[in-house]
Amino acid sequence: MFYKKSTSLVVGALCFCLVLTSFCPLTMAQKKTAPVEATPPPIREEFNFGKVDLEVLEQSDLLDTKFERDGLVLHDESANAYLRRIGLSLVPKELDLERVRWNFRVLRDPQPNAFALPNGSIYVSTGLIFLIDNESQLAAIIAHEMTHVMRRHTYVQNRSNRKKFLTMNIMSAIGTYAPGGIVGAVITIVTTVAPFILIATVYGYSRDLEREADLKGVDMMISAEYSPEEMVNVMKLLNKDFEGENIRLFYNDHPALDERIKYLSSYLGTRADKVTHQMELNRERAAYFGQMESVMRHDLQLAINATRFRSAVYLAQRLVDFHPDSENLFWLAEAYRTLGPRSQQLTEKELTNSGKKDAAKKRLKRTLEEEERELLETPAGKDNWQQHQQKAEEFYLRASNAENPVPAVHRGLGMLYEKLGRANDAASEYEKYVELAPTAIDRERIKKRIEALRRT
Amino acid sequence: MKLTNSVVSRLRASILLLATLLLIGFTSPSIQAQFLHPKIKSKETSIRTVVVLPAKVSVVRDSMKGPEGMAAESDELSARVEKIIAEVLSKQKNVTTLSSPTPPTSPSDQGSSQPNYNVADFQTKFDDLLPKIMKKRSDVKKGRFTMGDEVLNLNLEKTTDAIVFIRGEGKKLTGGKTAFTMLVGGVPAYLRLQIGIVDARNGDVLLYTDPIFGGDPTTAVDRLRKALEKGFKKLPAAQPTP
Repeated sequence: MFYKKSTSLVVGALCFCLVLTSFCPLTMAQKKTAPVEATPPPIREEFNFGKVDLEVLEQSDLLDTKFERDGLVLHDESANAYLRRIGLSLVPKELDLERVRWNFRVLRDPQPNAFALPNGSIYVSTGLIFLIDNESQLAAIIAHEMTHVMRRHTYVQNRSNRKKFLTMNIMSAIGTYAPGGIVGAVITIVTTVAPFILIATVYGYSRDLEREADLKGVDMMISAEYSPEEMVNVMKLLNKDFEGENIRLFYNDHPALDERIKYLSSYLGTRADKVTHQMELNRERAAYFGQMESVMRHDLQLAINATRFRSAVYLAQRLVDFHPDSENLFWLAEAYRTLGPRSQQLTEKELTNSGKKDAAKKRLKRTLEEEERELLETPAGKDNWQQHQQKAEEFYLRASNAENPVPAVHRGLGMLYEKLGRANDAASEYEKYVELAPTAIDRERIKKRIEALRRT
Repeated sequence: MKLTNSVVSRLRASILLLATLLLIGFTSPSIQAQFLHPKIKSKETSIRTVVVLPAKVSVVRDSMKGPEGMAAESDELSARVEKIIAEVLSKQKNVTTLSSPTPPTSPSDQGSSQPNYNVADFQTKFDDLLPKIMKKRSDVKKGRFTMGDEVLNLNLEKTTDAIVFIRGEGKKLTGGKTAFTMLVGGVPAYLRLQIGIVDARNGDVLLYTDPIFGGDPTTAVDRLRKALEKGFKKLPAAQPTP
């Protein structure tokens, strides 16, 4: 009896200590989020690398190699040099960070995203490059990511997570061997609830680091003479959800975009001593689009491959508005053709969180062909298809009549006519394409299609 | 010391769990499901030559302090899986494996990144299709899944019948975590592969198999081989060309 009692007491005390330590990061995290004025210095001084940190660094270097080998890095020298120029202009002068070698790369990913590895590699996706409007916005993204590196966020978070995981495992062991009776029941409840609290602190801590990167990024932009208000505009652009995929989850590692806009605006109210004129921003926009046009075209192909058709139409239209040449018109036509029977914009209902969850479930269940077949059976789907194929044809024809027409226009027209059941027209367009682009990577595919169409 | 009913039932559960884990650890059961396209089943299409695209297998080391990346070991394992699949297909199914997609033929492509992008985009396309296959794997038998005629853009050799896509994930446990798993419970070390064989001419998914085995994925080479042999059991062997 004594044995049982003393065991219960020891286990109970241990549990109490663990819960107490698990709450500590939460309170610390809350303290950090309080004043928007107080941003830490840009660099985490006196950071001592431990064995665990060096392992994380090694994994980062290997990840760089993997991205390169897997064809995920865009080899556009001009775009990468442009990112590098912006990045280096943001680095505080004479800064020499231990075990950091700055590298700026474009990632071939149509989803708007950017991230930093602790070794100094900054990746910005083609999808994000296309979404933003000017160099200042790109600087905002890079400044945010560079702060993660300079403040050693990855290492700090990894160290913190390791402690929390260890605590969770110990709690789980205690829970498994909890004695019976009331004390046992209390221990079981505590050890069941504590992991959820710990997980919440993991995400909470991550959100705090994001907030720090946002605010410090603004400071870096001001130092480099970029328009700091563009950081807020980037958040607004990221808030656009063309595909209905930004589902709010119970746990999020980034603060909600609305919240970020709010605290950044509040911070800018106290820090911004420069407001850029619209005319200056327009000039910046034109220069940015000129610099990144090839990356944007590359992203359109990726967006279509990834079935991000609504984004593709929106982005291609932006490109055509900037420079209506044959290639950009071709991409707009491609975007409309592949949009097919889908609506160009999601409805309010589809943009609610439950609407997005339903859509995500359906995406998992249906293949692309099944989705199109289902939509074509509805009157709205038929209407959309008719409108989009007309627009696609119009833009293909405009592209073929423009100066220096791209051969791919004929391939696009061929695919459009094939879908419309105009076999002869489709075959002739394909033949024109093969003739104009004899070394195209998809020539075999198109030749096979010609053979099949000529047989019918 | 008098044990309460609750403690006794907990002890029983722990012993049962321990026994199960030991069973998994020592007998290395390979559970796998295989689904064949009707064209393969009816022998309308046969696979004689394949191209194995680079495998994407990732393993993590699970310690008491959480998971840790194993990028170098994952790369090694990916290469090993590709090699063993080629050996299994060759020895048991008379299927020849070609090394990789052919290098660029057009002069304008020489030295460019386009072929590398092309392979990467197909890998992504398979990654997009995979969750749909996983949702209803048995529909491979109905011929429901396809990657479309875009596969022809890979410009493989004309004799290529199919393309093999390999994905996998696994977990290796540290000593501490192994002991913890035995005492408290949890997922033991394992490797799960997801392999799709796709028609090189029209993109139809001809076979899907997902072999799994228990044990350290970075060292258990024999278990890996056995799991793969079982994973391709239903695939009909190709008739030697006369």
